[in-house]
Amino acid sequence: MSKHASDGDGPSDEDRELRARLDKLSGALAEQRLDARERQMQETAADAGGETGRALSLGFRVLSEFVAGVVVGFLIGWQLDAWLSTSPLFLIVFLALGTAAGFWNVYRIAARPTTPGRKNKS
Amino acid sequence: MAAEGNAIDPIHQFEIHPIVNFSIGGTDISFTNSSLFMVVILALISIVMLWGTSSKALVPGRLQSAAEMAYEFVASTVRGTAGEGGMKFFPFVFSLFMFVFFSNVIGLIPYTFTVTSQIIVTFALAALVILTVLVYGFYKHGAHFLHLFVPSGVSPFLLPFLVLIEVISFVSRPISLSVRLFANMLAGHITLKVFAGFVTLLLGAGAWSALAPLPLAAIVLLTAFELLVAVLQAYVFAILTCVYLNDAIHPGH
Repeated sequence: MSKHASDGDGPSDEDRELRARLDKLSGALAEQRLDARERQMQETAADAGGETGRALSLGFRVLSEFVAGVVVGFLIGWQLDAWLSTSPLFLIVFLALGTAAGFWNVYRIAARPTTPGRKNKS
Repeated sequence: MAAEGNAIDPIHQFEIHPIVNFSIGGTDISFTNSSLFMVVILALISIVMLWGTSSKALVPGRLQSAAEMAYEFVASTVRGTAGEGGMKFFPFVFSLFMFVFFSNVIGLIPYTFTVTSQIIVTFALAALVILTVLVYGFYKHGAHFLHLFVPSGVSPFLLPFLVLIEVISFVSRPISLSVRLFANMLAGHITLKVFAGFVTLLLGAGAWSALAPLPLAAIVLLTAFELLVAVLQAYVFAILTCVYLNDAIHPGH
């Protein structure tokens, strides 16, 4: 390094080139590491009971998340009606909101797996 | 047919009965069969983890590789869903996973008690998860944590409805988390018991007893299926804990 430093503006060019190559290399390394992690994630997911098991657990998740949304909406509306004695105004409103929340829960489950793929492509 | 009165009661296995009676200030805190099996679960987890990690061999033995597999499985789940920052919650997630896993699997052994078939147990676990999310979220991000409930890029007219929906969706999380685990365990055990009841009923039904092996074969299949469900529900509980913790660590979607 000290020998190159005395050569005028030569070393700065070389330095820049070296840095660019280093950046490219570390970028590739990070990418590879990300790939490895993703592959590992898929493997562990596959280990957890195979295709049927995953489909089964996903089905149970979708069902329970949807039902939980509706139930919570119902309970909030019911309690508000009991407190404000406005039956059945809030029950209807919050039942509708709870159903929407249930659908939103299900949508989030369905939408999640595609997000990493999209991020990878862009 | 005479034995029908008391022979088959699929709910009987979930009954809690005290082993040692205690009460402090009128509150019943007896040591029940449920408490006994919680102690058994904790003892088994401690044995597997302490014994398994005590030898520290380069080429692991059976118990050590079981302990290492459990660690690596949960660690990769945490890293995959909550990122590297989620690893500070690793002890929490690992404890939850091991407790649910052991109680589910031990419950499949005949004459044992399934701790996770009680909704109060699963709800306590789910409430612990959600309280951790809330406390850590507010501690780490302050009021910024509330941005979790405000979706970005929505017209101001729709925003109040969407915030309400987000809040309901958040409140529904501990309920879905606890009910899913509880319902899976309860339904599985009741199914096994009902099919076992078919065997005894058919055996006592004269010529129909030729059909008795059919439900018996179904029990064999169902037991394998229940083992799969037990492992999967522990995994789902752990991964959803990570997903919810991820919201507390990175609230900005």
